[in-house]
Amino acid sequence: MDTLTGVEHLAEPDGFRAFVEARSSALLRSGWLLTGDWPSAEDLVQTALAAAWPRWASLRRQDAPELYVRKIMVNTFLRWRRRRWNGEIATGRLPETQAYGDVFAQVDARQSLLAALDRLPARQRAVVVLRYFADQTESQTAEAMGCSVGAVKSHAAKALARLRHAPGLAEFMTGGVAS
Amino acid sequence: MNTEERQLADVLHRITPEPPRRVTVEQVAYRLVSEPRLGRGSRLGREPRPRRGGLGLSRAWAPAMAAAAVVVIAGASAGVAVLASSHHNSPSPPGGASASSSVSSAPVSSSPSGTQSPAQQTTPATAIVGGPWGAELIDRQAFTQGSLVSGDGSLFAYGTGTLDRIDPVTGTIAATAPYNAPLPNPPVIVGNTVWVVWSNSGGNVVLHGYNAQTLQQTASVLVPTIGRVSSAASNVLTAGPDGHLYVAAGVSVVTVDPATGQLTGRIDLTVGTASSVAVSPDGGTLYVGIGGFKLLVYNLAGNNVADESTLRDTTSLGNLVATSGGVWGTTGVGMSEWTWFAPDGDLSRAVRIGEGAGAGFASLPSYSGGVVWVGGSHTLSCASPADGRILDTATLPTDHQVVEYFSSPAVVGGHAYSFYQDNAAQLSGLARMTPPPACSGLSS
Repeated sequence: MDTLTGVEHLAEPDGFRAFVEARSSALLRSGWLLTGDWPSAEDLVQTALAAAWPRWASLRRQDAPELYVRKIMVNTFLRWRRRRWNGEIATGRLPETQAYGDVFAQVDARQSLLAALDRLPARQRAVVVLRYFADQTESQTAEAMGCSVGAVKSHAAKALARLRHAPGLAEFMTGGVAS
Repeated sequence: MNTEERQLADVLHRITPEPPRRVTVEQVAYRLVSEPRLGRGSRLGREPRPRRGGLGLSRAWAPAMAAAAVVVIAGASAGVAVLASSHHNSPSPPGGASASSSVSSAPVSSSPSGTQSPAQQTTPATAIVGGPWGAELIDRQAFTQGSLVSGDGSLFAYGTGTLDRIDPVTGTIAATAPYNAPLPNPPVIVGNTVWVVWSNSGGNVVLHGYNAQTLQQTASVLVPTIGRVSSAASNVLTAGPDGHLYVAAGVSVVTVDPATGQLTGRIDLTVGTASSVAVSPDGGTLYVGIGGFKLLVYNLAGNNVADESTLRDTTSLGNLVATSGGVWGTTGVGMSEWTWFAPDGDLSRAVRIGEGAGAGFASLPSYSGGVVWVGGSHTLSCASPADGRILDTATLPTDHQVVEYFSSPAVVGGHAYSFYQDNAAQLSGLARMTPPPACSGLSS
């Protein structure tokens, strides 16, 4: 019976495939900024899309599928972070010791960025990703995170203050390496 | 936004890389099937986080797990993917293959996939239209990408929650054991024992050994690590030519005598946590992958580090394959993944081999039958293990402009075997080929 239920449940909603194909890259990049690695980013996006699947028709009527998916991503990420702090500590990324040429400069830039984001509390990191990468408004960010606009502003200001002095990141704020 | 905020936004957009692969609807469908709570409105908060690098997440293995989902959905009705009905809003024709299948005929497979019973009916072999080297589909089970190996006259692979021994003549599963791979690492055959990584977390790596014929468990070995295991672990277990096992164990590599299960040595690393290992066929060199991606060349005779180099791509996988001329692996750029060969393990001299793979597939090299095989979704090639030279290559077909996938083969009984997947037809299974004489040394 489970498999039958699964089949019924898996009737692909209209427009779902087009959304996934069009937006998965952007969602994955947000996931990478949140989690710091591609496997976790893929997991995050898959989890959010799976949650959106059965509600897709309603989300499309509200013209809000991406907002919903990002909301699930952020909340799932925050939950993972709480679990990590209370339990298993993930192994850190290994620093590259050499950097030559443009390709390695890109690597350095990415590592500096992730290192800086790693130093942010989870909610500040989520605000940075939603506000400054996903280009969400303050009210959309507040809606996704389930907090007030004032809290979003506060998180954003604190995150900027920390990133301003992040080692290796400041030089990229005024130009430099392209992805 | 003020100026500083705009600068931060600009940095985020410029530095954040493109993902190595996209998420597919099939992967999402798999998540819904495997974790039905996601789709039934229960609180997501109760969902445990899957293991990092676990099967559902792995870059290299995710596509094949989507195929595995196909089999779960198909249930006991047929061995062929029925998920196509949910994609195209029309049911599959009798026999399961959709109208766009590249297989020339589609006989019904009466054997349910993913069962624990080795008793199955034989599926008649069917030619794959345009397939390389006379490719024919001999079975329609779904297996985990990158897990197919040969040894002791059989093929071994990971199914859906199983370790399977496959009869290369009929393509049917001859023996099976419950198994969920904690990370990408194909089975390692030593004598009449199949070794797998049972768990790889925290401060321990646990290996299990199974009788190669019956797949009854015969051994369990606990390998304590120095420090924690790598978060990028892949291929942490391999075997040397003398049969000794090599295990990436934190900031060390441990050797294990498979006959006794005793730890016989430990090599301490000073440059980082080992994420993958490979041993040269002469047993003289140990290759250790670190992070993503540094390669350490360790002289086992002299007990010293002979070389250390870094690949110019942090998305490299840890699927190291060692041959007489050097070491092979896979890296990715954008949607494609391709194989590299580093002579003598020197990544500064690494060259690209093969056309790679796209569409969510991985091009993971294999060393079987005396040559290196490089599959993917564009070409299937055999290459010299000494210098990386392509010995022969075949162009892979497409199905209605959708790529078809042939994994890097394993050789047994004079034939080469690949996992085959045709996304347009939602079809997957085991393909048997007869490569040309240039891909010589066909024995296992």
